[in-house]
This record gives sequence, C-alpha cells and structure tokens, in this order.
Amino acid sequence: MSAPTQTDDGLDRRAQLDTQAARSEVRTDPDAMTTRQKLVHYASIPVFVTIVLVLLVVWLSGQELDSIEARNITLDNVLGQTQRHIYLTVLSTIIVVALAVPLGIVATRPGTRRLAPVIIGIGNAGQAIPSLGLLAIIFIAFGAVPVLPSTGVVPVVAALVAVSFLPILRNTMVGLDGVDRDILEAGSGMGMSQRQVLRKIELPLAIPVVLAGVRTALILNVGTATLAFLFGGGGLGFIIFTGFNLKRTPVLITGAVMAAVLALLVDYVGGLIEEWLKPKGL
Amino acid sequence: MRRSKSVLLALFAALALLAAACGGGDQLESGGGGEATTASGGSEGGELTAGTEALDGAQITVGSKDFDEQQILGYISVTALEAAGASVDDQVNLGGTDANRQALLSGQIQHYWEYTGTGWINHLGHTDPIPDREEQYNAVREEDLQENNLVWLAPAPFNNTYGLAFRSEAADQLGNPEALSDLGPLIENNPEQASLCVETEFESREDGLPGMEEQYGYEFPNSEVTGLDTGVIYSAIDKGDPCNFGEIFTTDGRIAALDLSVLEDDQSFFPLYNASPVFTRDVYEQYGEALEACFAPIAEALSQEQMTELNKRRSSDGERPQAVAESFLNDNDLLGGCEGG
Repeated sequence: MSAPTQTDDGLDRRAQLDTQAARSEVRTDPDAMTTRQKLVHYASIPVFVTIVLVLLVVWLSGQELDSIEARNITLDNVLGQTQRHIYLTVLSTIIVVALAVPLGIVATRPGTRRLAPVIIGIGNAGQAIPSLGLLAIIFIAFGAVPVLPSTGVVPVVAALVAVSFLPILRNTMVGLDGVDRDILEAGSGMGMSQRQVLRKIELPLAIPVVLAGVRTALILNVGTATLAFLFGGGGLGFIIFTGFNLKRTPVLITGAVMAAVLALLVDYVGGLIEEWLKPKGL
Repeated sequence: MRRSKSVLLALFAALALLAAACGGGDQLESGGGGEATTASGGSEGGELTAGTEALDGAQITVGSKDFDEQQILGYISVTALEAAGASVDDQVNLGGTDANRQALLSGQIQHYWEYTGTGWINHLGHTDPIPDREEQYNAVREEDLQENNLVWLAPAPFNNTYGLAFRSEAADQLGNPEALSDLGPLIENNPEQASLCVETEFESREDGLPGMEEQYGYEFPNSEVTGLDTGVIYSAIDKGDPCNFGEIFTTDGRIAALDLSVLEDDQSFFPLYNASPVFTRDVYEQYGEALEACFAPIAEALSQEQMTELNKRRSSDGERPQAVAESFLNDNDLLGGCEGG
C-alpha cells in the first residue's frame, strides 16, 4: 500500500489549496477567550440584527402606509413568509447533507477514486446553471411527469438541492482527501479495519471542511429561496417582488431587509454549529 | 477574521438598504425622474402644444415590456414610425413595467405603450381605479403630463384586464360557472375545488383579489390560494394542478390556445387597462401632429378580438412579433396616416 502522491488522486489542485486554506484559517477558539471576548464573539451578530430590525420598525412606523402596503406589512404576513423561507432553506439543506456526504465518502474510497472527477463535474454543472434557469427547467421537467407536482414545495426544494449540492459534496471529498495519509497508515497499523479508520480518524478530521460546505450551502439556499415564489413556494421573495412590481418601497425594503437578516442569522447559527461539532484540539 | 469581515459587509449592506429606503421613498413621492431636461425649456407645467414637424429624420427610441402583447405593440410602433420617416432605435422587449417607466422618465427611450390602469395605480400611486374608460384615460393623461411631462395619446379600445379562468373540460366538475358571481356557491359547498393561482401583485392590489372578494362577497379559502409566476399560471390551470382557477389577462393568446374558459366579470369590478402610446413631452412638442395622425387609426383598429388574435399568433403559433406587427398594419392599410405625415 503506497500512498498516492498529491497530484494523481483525481482531485484538482484548487481543491487541495482549499483544504489547506480551510485548515490553516486562523480561527477564534472560544475556549481560549476571556469572558468579554466571548461576549463580543457571540453577541455581535444578534445585537446587530436586533438594531437593524428596530430601525426597520421605526422607519416603517414613520411611513404613511397606503392600503396595499398595509396589507403586505402585517406581522402575520412577514413572519409567515419568513417562516416559509426558513423551512425551504433548512429542508433542502438537510436533504443535501443526507445525499452529498455519503456520496462524498463513497467517491473517496480506494476502489472508486477514479470516479471523483466525474462526480465533481456533475456537481459543478448543477451549480453552474443559473438558479432561476434551474427552477424553470425543473418546473418543465416535473410538468412532463404526471405524478410529480410542477409547483409548490417539491420542485422548489429539488432546485435548491441541485444548486447547493456541490459545495457540500466537494468539501466532503476535499476534507476526506486532505487527511494525512500517514495517520491513516498508522490506524491500519494499529489493527483498525477500513471502516474503523473512516469512522474514528477520517471523518472527525474532515468535519471542519465538511461543515464549511454546509454553511456555504445554507447561505446559497437562503438566496435562491427568494425565487421560490415564482413556482408556488412562497417565501420572502413574494414580499420583495410585490413591493417591486407595485412600486411600494416600504414593502420592498421590508422583504429585502428580512432576507438579509435571515442570511446573516443562518450564517451565524452555522458558525455556532461548526464550533460545537468541531473535534476538540483541532 | 472572517466573522469581523462579514459584520462589516452586513453593516454596509444594511446602510445601503436604508439609504435606498430613504432616497427611494422621496423619489417616489415627487414622481422621481421628472427632472428630464426639456429641450424646449420653459414649457414645464404650461400648455401642451402638438409640434408640427414631420417625422422625417426624427430620432426615436422605442421600448416595450417583456411579454407577447407588448412586443407586438412595440413593433407596431417601430414599423409605424419608420413608415413615417423617423429613424428608430429598437429597444423592444426592454424589461418589466418599471424598467420601461424609468427609461421613459429619464429620456433613455422616448416611447412605449402603457395601460391606463397601470399608469393610474402603479405609476401615479392611486389605489382606486375609475370605472369609466374615457374618464380613466383623461385622469391619467392629465396627471402624468403635469407631474412627469409624459403625453398619453388616444388609447386602443382593447382592454387587457384581469380575469379568472379555468380549463373548459372541468366545467361539469366545477358546477359550470359562467361568471364570477357563480363562484360563491362553489366556495360555500366545495371549498377544496375552489383553488386559485395568482401572481404576487394580484394578491395585494385593490383592483386584484382583495377588492374582488369584497365586491363579490366571498373569500377563497386561504389554504387554496397559491402564488405563481404570471407565465406559469396558464399551464397550471390547464393541468388543474395546483389550482382549478387562475388569474389571467383577458387578451392573452394562451386562453384560446389552451382552451380555457374565462369567467365573466358580471359586476364590472376589474379596472380598465386600455393601452395607449405614451411619448415624452419633448418629442410630442416637436412632432405631436404627425404622431397623432399616425397612431390614431392604429390604436382605433386594436379591438379586443384583434389584439387577442395577434397575441395568439405570437404565443401559440410562434410567429415573430415583427412579422405579426407588420402584417397587421399592412393587411389593414393602417400606415396611411404615418406616410401622409
């Protein structure tokens, strides 16, 4: 068993560099912080978001809303569509993780390593298609199959999955690939089976890189989900485009601010999960 | 590292949003963009006089919105203006309503066709339409001239307004409704059959769903209303999935092509959307008479049947909008007023 060299293992150089970047990134380690640093570290985003929301409410209450604006800017409507947006984002991210992580593991096993470029290529294609185009293609494709609904949550989530599939797949493969071969050799030398090596050494060491991919996917999905309303998926895009189409600035701003705030919070929560799942001592 | 960077970015984005909010708000109030400098100067707000110059050698940029009917209307203008000797910059299919409106206000285009209802509700910010065709047109013409220096020529008779339609083959299953009033009993007895597809706008406009429900005294069950893109609605109601009824535009070519039945607006609730050729004041004060002579007979010939037929040739027979526009003008001898100018 000779360890393959760094260049003929089916993964491109850029991926290699990414791994190094992900590993060598200076990370703030909460365990090594003073209480005050901790407070800043954990509270900055929530505080900022709160300020933005307060400013939004203050600005809105100073506006004379006409009936169209008043109908759109109700707590019910804004929170309802925000909830819907979160639902689409989280559901599609869960599905992607469930599909892409196992695929990434399979694609980096010795027997299937030659497939890696092909799999990455397919994932790349999914991400290269503009998301609106992808939604339209899925709408038409699902429309041609009688059993599949061409509107609503199903096609929208399918499109979100396709768009965010690649970052998670790629990071899984890159993360597993970046684990030092010598450590794996050492594991085998200690009498571990292939499976044990994967579970006890490879996956824990790959987790930071995989999670970075999950975070990227989440952010991508928040953005793409603003197009869901075109195909009956609802979400904040509904409010944004109502404001845009009817030239009602308060409605447009409300939708846009909520979407921006949501993206920030999702990234923040993703960061917390990353810290929490990261193996100690890395 | 990354955390502080993203906070900075977020702060920047929020500031930009707030700036846009304040700036944008003011602009809309004052009918923004009306600052287009007028070549004739001093005519601001004063009497409008139609210019007497012939269109020979005039430079006119024509825009249009991005759907079938608008592309056809856009090419009708291009063809007519060229016949009158103008040199035309073709910006047909420029974008949505807003893109065209802003381009016209800023003088990047000098003309596109706009609907009276859209002018009144979307651009001038009123919530209640005027139910009389002539009065609605006059109100829009007057206000848009005063506030934004735009001139609305005489509108076409066709009315591209909202309507509700369903697939004809499901008539029996839905209790053979013929008018909007007939939906009351259906909602009452079979709420799950009363599923409705609408676009974002329709759901919040006074002249859309809320006003319609109020006028007709019923309400579609909330769980049965789905928001879709305008173009998607037609195929959704053709399949009956996810809805039996859908919001449509009354001159759309797909109504005939997909064999959809349109419910009659028996209480005349929906506003009037008569298309009118809109020009900038500068152009009108230079060439007004020639433009009136050229466009009056063309607008007059665009009846409901005629426009629907032209749309059908575009959307279901796949003819190019240029070809549809040219054959309409030539077959009906409508270019006389332009060439004579």
